Amino acid sequence: MADWEIWIVILVLGVATACTRSAFWLIGHRVTIPPRVQEMLRYAPACALAAIVFPDMVLGPQGDVQLALANPKLIAGIAALLFYLWRRAMLQTIVFGMLVLTLLRVFHVFGNIG
Amino acid sequence: MNQAHPDLPPDSQADARGWREGFQTGLPTLFGIGAWGMVVGVAMVKSGLTVAQASGMTLVAFAGSAQLASLPLIAAGAPIWVIFLTALVVNLRFVIFSALLGPHFSRLPLWQRFYLGYISGDVSIALFLQRYPIATVTPEPGKLAFLKGLMYPNWIAWQVGSLIGIFLGSTVPTEWQLGFAGTLAILCIMVPLIINSAALCGVAVAGVTAVLAHELPYKLGLLAAVIAGMATAMFFEESIAKRNRRSRIGHG
Repeated sequence: MADWEIWIVILVLGVATACTRSAFWLIGHRVTIPPRVQEMLRYAPACALAAIVFPDMVLGPQGDVQLALANPKLIAGIAALLFYLWRRAMLQTIVFGMLVLTLLRVFHVFGNIG
Repeated sequence: MNQAHPDLPPDSQADARGWREGFQTGLPTLFGIGAWGMVVGVAMVKSGLTVAQASGMTLVAFAGSAQLASLPLIAAGAPIWVIFLTALVVNLRFVIFSALLGPHFSRLPLWQRFYLGYISGDVSIALFLQRYPIATVTPEPGKLAFLKGLMYPNWIAWQVGSLIGIFLGSTVPTEWQLGFAGTLAILCIMVPLIINSAALCGVAVAGVTAVLAHELPYKLGLLAAVIAGMATAMFFEESIAKRNRRSRIGHG
């Protein structure tokens, strides 16, 4: 992506922020969202985040699906998920997950890939 | 300076109290906000953005999860409209938040409503709604100041954390895979959003679809995954509701 395109992306992200966060501040007292749409909206963010996280953890550098133990990101991700479910603390979870990933990498525990 | 509302005499004491209260309410969360900003800052630089671009992105977008979501799309050269749609979808929760928060401040001038919405973050909104659960018609002194006491420090903590991450990120070796911290952060935001078993099904379907469809052009697999996940969650919720209705009738 060219330099100027990245700047356009940055502006576009700003527009997306304004659309979603400010819209109802501006027109909220005149509109009500139908309950069915509200329900759908409730599920959208979790699905969007899942669609980002799963490929990050499972896909190798060449876009190959790696479900084996030899995939350090998958192991670290699952370990972090369990840790978060236990402690419910974001910062600790990030540190823990990175620690697991780093240890797996440094010691090549399950053999080294990509 | 803000013009006071015609029907609300300026009450500087209540405002000072509100600000202090808001600041104290938000204070324990500021460190976490800054750290999360730092993770995003590192991830931006590690994905190949320059320091200027990363700084611009954090100042303009102010949306951690949307920024993180856009990084792989930028790296893959996805079309801008796909990135825009993705950012909208990731930010959709704020549509609901702003629908809850906006009515509290419908009397403010347009410009002020716009920028207050623009700088609102998840944590500030959650804390505000704990303190003021119901939007009242009569103005409450100190309420706006309380909101500002939550939001301004929150915005500053996020930006300072991000900038530290951006400058730190370029000195950290790539093998450390610090960008993965961003993935972990998204994981931590995602889990509390799984509010019921329908959402869990939706998340599973969305995740698997995203992996299976990752070879679709323009990163369209991501949008396909979100739609599939949402449809699954709605279908699941509907079938549970139907079964409950039937069993209620059965028990007469």
